[in-house]
Amino acid sequence: MSFDETFDVVVIGAGHAGCEAASAAARMGAETALITINLDLIGQMSCNPAVGGIAKGHLVREVDALGGLMGRVIDRTGIQFRLLNRSRGPAVQSPRAQADRALYRKEMRRTLENTPNLHLRQGMVIDLVTKAASIVGVEMQDTRRIRAKAVVIATGTFLNGLVHTGRRTYTAGRAGEPASIELAEALKRLGFPVGRLKTGTPPRLDGRTIDWDAFQTQYPDEDPVPFSFATDRIAQDQINCYIGYTTNELHQAIRANLHESPLYSGKIKGVGPRYCPSIEDKVVKFADKDRHQLFLEPEGHDTNEVYLNGFSTSLPAELQLELVRMVPGLEEARIIRPGYAIEYDFVDPKELGADLQSSRIGGLFHAGQINGTTGYEEAACQGLMAGINAALFIQKRESFRLRRDESYTGVLIDDLITQGVDEPYRIFTSRAEYRLALRHDNADSRLEPYGRALGLVGDTDWERFNARRDRIADLSAALNNTRLRRSDPRYAAAQSVLNSDLGDAITLAQLAQRPGINTSVLLSLLSPDVSPVSLRDLESALADSLYSGYIQTQKNTIERLHQHDALRIPRELAFTGLDGLSHEMAERLERTRPLTFGDARRIPGLTPAALSLILVELTARNRAA
Amino acid sequence: MDTIIALATPPGRSAIGVIRLSGPNALPLTRSLLREAQYQPTPGQTLLKDLRYPPTGELLDQALVSYFQAPHSFTGEDVVEISCHGSPIILRQVIDALLQLGARLAGPGEFTLRALASGKMNLSQAEAIRDLINSQTEVAAQQALRQLGGELSARLTPLKDQLIGLIVPLESALEFVEDDLPEVETERIKDVLLGLVKETATLASSFSSGHFLREGLRVTLAGCPNTGKSSIFNELLKTDRAIVTDLPGTTRDTLTETVNIKGMPVVLTDTAGVRESGNRVESIGVERTRRAMADADLLLVVVDGAVPLTTEDLGFLQLTAAQRRVIVVNKSDLSTFRNQLKNDLDLKARVVTVSARNHEGLEELREAILEPFISINNSEGGLLITDARHYDLLCRTQAELESASRAISAGASEELVLVGLHNALRFLGEITGETTAEDVLSRIFATFCIGK
Repeated sequence: MSFDETFDVVVIGAGHAGCEAASAAARMGAETALITINLDLIGQMSCNPAVGGIAKGHLVREVDALGGLMGRVIDRTGIQFRLLNRSRGPAVQSPRAQADRALYRKEMRRTLENTPNLHLRQGMVIDLVTKAASIVGVEMQDTRRIRAKAVVIATGTFLNGLVHTGRRTYTAGRAGEPASIELAEALKRLGFPVGRLKTGTPPRLDGRTIDWDAFQTQYPDEDPVPFSFATDRIAQDQINCYIGYTTNELHQAIRANLHESPLYSGKIKGVGPRYCPSIEDKVVKFADKDRHQLFLEPEGHDTNEVYLNGFSTSLPAELQLELVRMVPGLEEARIIRPGYAIEYDFVDPKELGADLQSSRIGGLFHAGQINGTTGYEEAACQGLMAGINAALFIQKRESFRLRRDESYTGVLIDDLITQGVDEPYRIFTSRAEYRLALRHDNADSRLEPYGRALGLVGDTDWERFNARRDRIADLSAALNNTRLRRSDPRYAAAQSVLNSDLGDAITLAQLAQRPGINTSVLLSLLSPDVSPVSLRDLESALADSLYSGYIQTQKNTIERLHQHDALRIPRELAFTGLDGLSHEMAERLERTRPLTFGDARRIPGLTPAALSLILVELTARNRAA
Repeated sequence: MDTIIALATPPGRSAIGVIRLSGPNALPLTRSLLREAQYQPTPGQTLLKDLRYPPTGELLDQALVSYFQAPHSFTGEDVVEISCHGSPIILRQVIDALLQLGARLAGPGEFTLRALASGKMNLSQAEAIRDLINSQTEVAAQQALRQLGGELSARLTPLKDQLIGLIVPLESALEFVEDDLPEVETERIKDVLLGLVKETATLASSFSSGHFLREGLRVTLAGCPNTGKSSIFNELLKTDRAIVTDLPGTTRDTLTETVNIKGMPVVLTDTAGVRESGNRVESIGVERTRRAMADADLLLVVVDGAVPLTTEDLGFLQLTAAQRRVIVVNKSDLSTFRNQLKNDLDLKARVVTVSARNHEGLEELREAILEPFISINNSEGGLLITDARHYDLLCRTQAELESASRAISAGASEELVLVGLHNALRFLGEITGETTAEDVLSRIFATFCIGK
C-alpha cells in the first residue's frame, strides 16, 4: 500500500482532546499530524463557552501542570473568571472562566501552529489502516493515505452524529458540520463494541433583544485566579453574566408540548447525562420545582451572541422561540441558533489500557467523547495522556499513567477503563477518594515533575515551579516555627481578632486552623524577615497544614481496606487456570481483565474468596520475580 | 502496615485457645493488655501473665504469652502469641480488648499473605493455603448471605440509608455550587448524626463479647412437620413445654427458651414446620419460622429417619444449605429407622443421630451445637470471629460518625465533615456491601435538579 505522507503520530480531530494530544506528542519529539474536518474550527467549544468548574477546574490545572495547553489558552481568552466555593475549604475550590469562543479558537490554533514537529491537515478520515492487529495509518475521504506508527482518535460527537430538533433529524457532527459516518462504520467492522450516547445544547440569543435589567448580575472576581501556573495575571477585560429564572407558565407550556420532543417521543435512543438535563427533563422529573435557574453567558467581546445556559432543548425551533419568550426579560428575544440534541457513537472504554491504548489494535489510542466522557476538561486530560502515551509508544518507552491518589486525571481514566460508562461520564470531586489531597492549587507539586521528566515542561516553567516550591516550604516552616507567647505584642493582636484565649503560646499554623483567622491576619503576624509573601503561596502552605491530619487518617483507613490495590495483574495471568477459582468467577475476571488488584476488587459480584485467591497468586508471583 | 489479630488455635476443640498478633504494634498492644509498660520479653520467651480489660483493669484470664521478634517469626513481623483458657467467652473478651486497643481482625488468609510477602513462605506452601482460604471465605460469604434476610441487615439498612441521606446534601453543596439548591440544614444534620452515633453504639454493644453471655447463642430447630423437633427441643430443655402430638403442624408459633450447655448460654427456638399451608394461623407461624431461621447462629435441621426422605425434606436440606447447621436424624429407636443421609447425600454438615424418645444421642448433639462457635477448622474462627468482626466494624463506624459530628459542631467546611461520613460508610460497607461513588451520585441526581 502506498502512502502520501508519513508521520510518527496521527491525531484525528482537533477538539479539546485532539489539540492536547497532538501538541504533547509533537513536543515530545514525535512528527505529528493533526487532522481536522475544518481548520477554522480548531478548539471549538461546541456547547457552553466556559472552562472549569468544581473538579473540572482541577483537571485543567492538572493538564497545565503536566505541560498541556488548555490552562494557558483560557487564561489568554477568558472574559469572566470566578473561583467557585470560595467560602469552603481549599480542596473543593475550583476556578471557572467564561471564554470568548472565537478568541479561544484563534489562540489555540496560533499555539499549535507555533509548535515544532506539528503539522495541521484538513480532511476527513474515513478508515484506519491496520496490519496484524497494529495500526499502520489512516485513509482520508479525499483519497490521501497517511502512514503513522500511532493514531489517536479524538472525534467527539462526530462518530455517526445525529442531530435532533423537534421531529427533524439529520446527520451531523455538530450543527452545520458533517458527521463521520465511514469512520464509525470502520470501527464497528474492526470489532469495537460501540454504544450510543446523547447530549444537547440550548439556543443562543441575540444580545440586543434581551432586557438585561430583568436579570441579576453575576460579577467576575476582582482578583481572578488563573488556570495556568505560568500565568501571572489575566489581561482580558472581564464581563458580567446574568441570572434569571423560568416560570410555572413556561413549565406548563413545555409539558403541553412534550409530544414534540424527540426525547419524549422515543426517537432518541442514546443515553443523556443526568447532571445536564434538558429543560424538558427538568420540568418533568422535578415537576414540583416552580422555577429553574438560567444563565445568560455572552459568547465574547466582539459578538452579540448570548448562550442561554440551563435551557438545553431539542424541541422544534419555532417552539423554542415561543418558550424562550416566556422567560421574564426575554419577551422580545430572538434566537440566532436553536438548541438541539445530538446522538453519537462511543466505544466501550473498558477496551483500553491505563495508557488509553486499545487492547484490540496496537498503537491505537482513544481520547475524549469516544470514551463516553463529556466536557472539554475531561477531553483535554485524556487527550494529553493519549498524546503522551502515543509518543512514548513510538519511542518504545514505558507508558505513563497516573494513580487515583495523585490526580483527578488518574481517577477519571481508572473509572473509565474499569467501570465503563452507561451515561456520559463527568468528573466530580466525590469520585476521588483522596479529594482533600487533590487541590487545584497543588496540581503543580503533584504533577509538574512528571511533566518535566516527559519533556513537556520547559526550563522557564521548571524554574518557576522550583521557586514556588521553595517559597511554600519556607512559609510552612515559618508558620510552624513562629510561636506567639503572651509577652509577644502580636499575641494580643491575634487574640483581639479571635476574641478567645489562645493558651500560653500558639504557632501561626495552629492559629490558622481557628475559624475567623484569614490570610491577611496571618500575613500581618508573619515576621518581617520572611521575604515578601504572595497570597497564593500562603494559601497553598495553609491548605497543606489544614488537611495534613485528615489526609493521614483517611489514608490509613483507605489503605487498610485497599492496601493491595496497586498490585498489578500480569496480562498473561490466566484466571481460568487458577486453582480453587470457581468457573463463574474466572469467567467474570476474564471478561473484565482487571489491570490491578484494585480493579479486580471493584468488579461487581466477585466473592471475597476469589479476591483472596488472586491476592495469594499475585503476592506469590511478586516473590518469585 | 497495621497490626492484625486472629484466633490461631489448631483445628478442633481444646483446653487452650491461642490468639496471635502480628505487626509493628504487636508488642505495645500486649503491654497495654498486660498493663505492664516495661514488658520487654526476650524473643522466644514464654511467660505466665495476667490479661486485663484495658479500660477497667478487670482480670480477663491468666495466659502464656510468647514473643517472636521480626524477622524471626511466622509472618516475618513482630508476633505475640497469647495462649488463653479455651473458653469461647474468654477468647472473645481478649480479642475485643485487643481490637479496642487498635488491632484489626485479620482477613481470610492474611497471616499467610504477610508470610508470603516477607519471604517466610514459598509458593508451593502458599498453594496449600488456597483451599483453606476458600473454605474460610465460603463460610464468611454464607454468613453474609444469611444476614441479608436477618436482623443485622434489617437494622443496618436504614442506618446506612440515613447516612447516605446526610452525605447527599453535603456533597451536593460542594459539587453543584452553581445550581439553585436548598441551604444545607446544619442543625438537622447534627441531630441525625447524633441519632446515628447512638444507634451504632447500641448495635455495636449487641456484638460485644458480653452479648453471648447476656443473650446466648441463637439455635433454631427447623424441619418438616412431624419430624420430632419439639421432642428434641423438650429433651434439650428437659421440660414438656412444647405440645407434642403426632399431628403435623402442632407447633404453630415459635417457642423460645434459654438453656445452659457446658457453660454457654444457648437460646433455643422451636419452630413450626415449614410447609405450604392454607391455614392462616399456621402461615403466620411459618413466616415467624423463616425469620427465626434467618436470625439463627446455628440451625438444627431435623429429619425423620424412620421413613424415607420426602421431597419436602430434600427441599428443606437444600433451602438451608447456605447456613451454619447440624442435621439431626431423629427416631433412631424405631425399627424402620435407616440413616440414609450418611450414605446417599453429600452434605457438608455434621450429621447427628438421636432418639428423642429414648434420650439417645443428645450428648453428641450438645457437643455439635457448641462446635461451630469454637471450631476454626472450617470457618474464620467460627461464629466467635464473625461476630467479633461485626463488633470491630461497628465500633469503627461509630468513631467515624463521632468525628464527623465534632467537625460539624466546630463549624468545619463540608469536605471535612464528609471525611468521617465516607469512612463510616466504608466500614458499614464491609458488612453490607460497598456503596460506590456512583450510588451516592445517583441519590443526588434523584434528589436535586442538577445541571446548568
